[in-house]
Amino acid sequence: MLKLLEKLLKHPVLVMLVFIAMTAIFVLKMKGNTRMETDLDKYMPQDHPAFIYSDQAEEWFDIKDGIIIAVENPDGIYNPGTLTKIKQLTKDLQKTEEIEKKDVTSLYTADNIVGTDDGMDVKAFYKRIPRSKEKLAELEEKVRTNEMVFGRLVSENEKVSVIIARINDDVFTQEFYSRILELGKSYEGPEKVYVAGRPIVEGTMAELGPADMKRMVPIVVGVIILILLILLRSMKNMILTMTVVLFSTIWTFGLLAFVDIPIYAVFTTIPVMLIAIGVADGIHLFSHLDLYLVTNPKAGKLEATHNMLKEMWKPVVMTSVTTAVGFISLLTSEVYPIKYFGIFTAFGVMAAMLFSLVLIPAGIMLFGLPKVRNIKVQSGDNIHADTFAHRFAKSLIKYKWFSLGVTAVIIAVSIYGTTKVWINSSFLDKFEKDSEIVLTDAFINENFGGTSTLNLILESRNKDAFKDPEILTLVDEMQSEVESIDVVGSSFGLTDYLKRMNKVMHADDETYNTIPGSPDLIAQYMLLYEMSGDPENLWQVTDFDYSKLNVTFQLKSDDSKSINQALDRIETYQQNFSDRNVEMNFAGSGYKALVFTDLILKGQITSLLMSLVIVVVLLSFMFKSITAGLIGTVPILITAAISFGVMGLLGIPLSTTTALMSSISIGIGIDYAVHFIDRYRENMHLSKNMELSIQQTMHHSGRAIVFNAAVVIAGFLVLLFSVFPPNRELGFLVSLNMFTSFLGTVTVMVIIIEQKKLFYKRIKSKTINN
Amino acid sequence: MKSILSFIVLSSMSGFVFTQDLTGLEVIRKVYERPVGDEMTASLTMTIENSRGNQRVREIKQYIKDFGDVEKKIMFFLSPADVKNTSFMNWSYDEPNKNDDQWIYLPALKKVKRISSDSKSDYFMGSDFTYDDLGDRHPDEDSHKIIREEVIDGLETYVVESIPKDEDYMYSRTVTWVVKDSWVGLKKEFYDEDGELLKILTVDEQKTFGEVIVLTNVKMNNVQNNQFTIMQLENVEINKGVPENIFTERIMKRGMK
Repeated sequence: MLKLLEKLLKHPVLVMLVFIAMTAIFVLKMKGNTRMETDLDKYMPQDHPAFIYSDQAEEWFDIKDGIIIAVENPDGIYNPGTLTKIKQLTKDLQKTEEIEKKDVTSLYTADNIVGTDDGMDVKAFYKRIPRSKEKLAELEEKVRTNEMVFGRLVSENEKVSVIIARINDDVFTQEFYSRILELGKSYEGPEKVYVAGRPIVEGTMAELGPADMKRMVPIVVGVIILILLILLRSMKNMILTMTVVLFSTIWTFGLLAFVDIPIYAVFTTIPVMLIAIGVADGIHLFSHLDLYLVTNPKAGKLEATHNMLKEMWKPVVMTSVTTAVGFISLLTSEVYPIKYFGIFTAFGVMAAMLFSLVLIPAGIMLFGLPKVRNIKVQSGDNIHADTFAHRFAKSLIKYKWFSLGVTAVIIAVSIYGTTKVWINSSFLDKFEKDSEIVLTDAFINENFGGTSTLNLILESRNKDAFKDPEILTLVDEMQSEVESIDVVGSSFGLTDYLKRMNKVMHADDETYNTIPGSPDLIAQYMLLYEMSGDPENLWQVTDFDYSKLNVTFQLKSDDSKSINQALDRIETYQQNFSDRNVEMNFAGSGYKALVFTDLILKGQITSLLMSLVIVVVLLSFMFKSITAGLIGTVPILITAAISFGVMGLLGIPLSTTTALMSSISIGIGIDYAVHFIDRYRENMHLSKNMELSIQQTMHHSGRAIVFNAAVVIAGFLVLLFSVFPPNRELGFLVSLNMFTSFLGTVTVMVIIIEQKKLFYKRIKSKTINN
Repeated sequence: MKSILSFIVLSSMSGFVFTQDLTGLEVIRKVYERPVGDEMTASLTMTIENSRGNQRVREIKQYIKDFGDVEKKIMFFLSPADVKNTSFMNWSYDEPNKNDDQWIYLPALKKVKRISSDSKSDYFMGSDFTYDDLGDRHPDEDSHKIIREEVIDGLETYVVESIPKDEDYMYSRTVTWVVKDSWVGLKKEFYDEDGELLKILTVDEQKTFGEVIVLTNVKMNNVQNNQFTIMQLENVEINKGVPENIFTERIMKRGMK
C-alpha cells in the first residue's frame, strides 16, 4: 500500500489530471441523469405485509389523500359572493388536469338526500347562486339538517366551508403544488382561503427542506472554510482539504447517476457526512505535516510528504474502513433509500480516503509545502499548544476519578433521558409552530373533523356480512366510541349512509337515525341509494359483496401519539369482531407513515448494534488487541447515550432524520478513537513510556481532533439558524455528537487507556525479547 | 334529396361544414326516432363486473308502455334474494325540462316512496349506463357531424361525432357508429370532460320484432376504471299488450302475476 502511494507521489501531474478527468465525467453524468424522488410511497418497502395490505385496500376503496381548501367568511358563508367562490373554486379544481372531476367534493357538488312526506328527494344544495334572502335561508336550513354535510363541508359556526380534492400520490409535483396554492390565493378577499391536507404538508416539506438546505449549505461550507483557514493557516491546505470533500461528494452523486438511482430526501445528509469525514482526513494529514515540519524545518516537500504518508496512511485507512463498515451495516434496513444511503455514503467515505492519500500528497508535490513564514508563526504557537496538551494530559490522569465520576453522572442522566425518547412519524411537527401550514391545519381542525385520516378495514369471509344489522350496529358503536377521543374529530363509513337512508325514508324522523333492523331492508336501502345517489361513493366504504368495509377516521393531528391512541381504542373491539368472523386491518398514508417510522427505527437499532460489533472486531484486528477494540468503542457509546438522552430530555422525537444521526455519530466518533489509539501505539513503540506516550499523543492526535471537532461543530452550528426545524435538529445533533465524541475520546477513553495500561504489556514483552 | 345533392356539390368545394352538420343531425334524429314499439315486456339481466372480476347480477322483469306524451315503465326485482319484490316505477315525459316521476317500493319497509331527483346524468342502478346513455338524450342537445363512413361487422355505418351544446355536460363528445338503413347505433364511444376515452358501448345482439329492432345484448365498458355492465333482454314481447292500469302503487306492492 505504502509503496503504491510512494510511486504515485512521483507523478503528481498525472494523478491530478486523472482525478480531475474522472470527476468531470461524474459531473457530466450527474447533469444528464439526476432526478429527485418526491413520491413518499417509493420510500416504503413494497413487499412489507402492512404496505401490501394498505396498497391493496387503497385500491379496493379508492383511498386517496385529499387537498383541503377552506373558504372563510367572518360574516358567514351564506351570501352570493362566498357561494359563487365555492362554486367557481370547485369547477377550477375539477378542470385541473391532475384532479379527476369526481374526486372534488364541496357544498356545490354534494347531493342533499332528504326525506319528504311521501318519499325522498335527491337534489344539489345549489346549482344557480341563490340571491334572495329566502333562498339563502332555505340553503342554510338544508345544510343544517344534513349531518353528512354539516360539520363536514360546512363548519358548525357557518363561517367556513371546505372543498376537498382527492389526488393520486403520483400526480404531485412542485409545480402542481404551487399552482394549487396560487389558485387558493386568487380567491382571497373578503374571504380568507386556507389550503391544507396531507399532500400539501408533504409538498411544503419537500419544497422547504431542500430549499433551506440549499440556502444553508453555502454558509456551512463558508464557515468551515474560514475555520479551516484559521486552523491550518494555509490557503493551499484548505483548498486541498475542501477538494477532497467536493470530489468525494461529486463521485458519490455521480455514481448514483451512473447506476440510475434517484435522489431520495435522506441523501441530502450524504454531503453532511462527507464534509465531516473528508475534513477529518485532511486535518489529520496536515496537522501531522505541520508537526513534522516544526521538528524538521529543513525537510524538502518530497521528504515531508513521504513522512506524512508513512506515518498517517494506516490511521486514515483504518478510520475510513471502520466508518464505511458502520454505514454498510445499514444494509440490514428494510427500507431501500436507507440501504442505498448506507452503500453510497460508504462509497463516498472510501473515495474521500483515496483522495486524502493520493490527491493531497499530489497537491503538496505540485503546489509546494505551506509557506515557511506561516510555520514559524505556528511553531511559536505550537510550543504553547504543546505545553497545554501535555499539561492537559497530565491533569487528566491526575483527576481521572473526578472525570470518570462526572461522566458516570452524565451517562446516568442520559439513560434516564433515553427512556423519554418518543418516536414521531408526523410530518406536520416538522414545521415551526407559528408557520402558516401549522396554523392553517389548526384552523381546519378547529372547525372540522380533522386533517389527518386513518382507515380501518374490516373484512369477513362471508358474503353480505356487512348487511347484518348486528355487525353494523357494532361498527356504529365502535365509531361513536372512537369519536369520543379528543384527537378523533369524526368518522365515516357505510353505517352513516344507512342511518341517513333510514331517517330519510321515515320522513326525516330523527328517531330513525339508526342502523336498520333487517338485512333485507339494508340491501333495499343500498339499492335505492345506488339508484338515486352516487354509487361510486358507496364503493369507497364497502365492496360489491358487502364482505369488506372501510371506516375512515378523521384525526386532528398526524403525530404518532394521536394515531396510536386511536388505534388502541379501535383495537379494543378486535375480540368482538373476530367473534363474528370479522378481521381488522388498517390502511392509509398516515398509518403507513407510522409503520414506516417504526420500521426505520427497528432497522436503525439492528444496524447500530451490528456496526458496534463489527467495529469492535475490526479494531481488535487492526490493533491486534481485543482490549483496544473495546476501548475504541467507548467514545461512541458515550456519544450515543448522550445523543439519545439529550433528545429525550429536550423532547426531540426520533424521526427518520434524527434516527440516521446515530449511524453518523458512530461513523465520526470512531475516527477520533482510531487516530488516538494508533498514534498512542506508535508513541508507545518509540518511547516505551506510557505517561509520556499519552502526552505526546494528546499533542499530536489530540490537537488534530480538536481542530476537526472545531471545524465541523462550527460549520453545523450554522444550521441552528435554519428556518426548517428538521435541519436545525440535524445541525444541533451533529454538533453535539461531534463534541461528545471529541470529549469522550480525549478524556474518558484516555483515562481507560491509562487504567488498562493498553499496549503496555506488549511493548514491555517486546522490549524484553529484544 | 336536396341536401344530399348539395352535400356532393359542396364537399368538392371544401366548404361543406354546415351541410354536413345537418346530415349528422339527421342521422342521429333517425336513430332517436327509430320505432321501438309502444309496449314492451322483457326480462332484464344486468351484470356488472369490476376490474377485480367481482360480479353483481340483478334480474328484473320490466313492463313499458308509451302513452304518447308520457312513457311509463315498471320494474320488479327478481334477484338477488334480499331485494326480491322491490319495484321501481318511472314516468318519463315528452315535455322538455319536465323531470321524470319516480317511485320505489321497498318490501322490507312495506311502503311506496316517491323519489325526486334533479340529476339526469346519474348512473342507472349503479351500472355504467346513465339514463342519457339508455337513449333519453334529445338530438337537439348536441351538435352532430359525420366524420367518416366505415364498415363494421359487414355493415355500412355513418360515424357521427356529437358535441354537447352545454359545456358542463359530463361528456365532451361522443362518437356513434350508425348502421345505414336500420338506424341502429351499433357502437358508441364516450369521451370525458378532458377529452379522454371513457366508455365504449357495443351491441352484441339485436332481434327484430316486426318493424321494431330490439337491442337484446348491450355492453358498456368503462375503459378508465375497467368496469363493465352487460344488459341482456330475454322473453321480449313487443306490442303484445301491456295493460294501462298496471302503473300504480298498488301493483308496485302486489307485483304482477
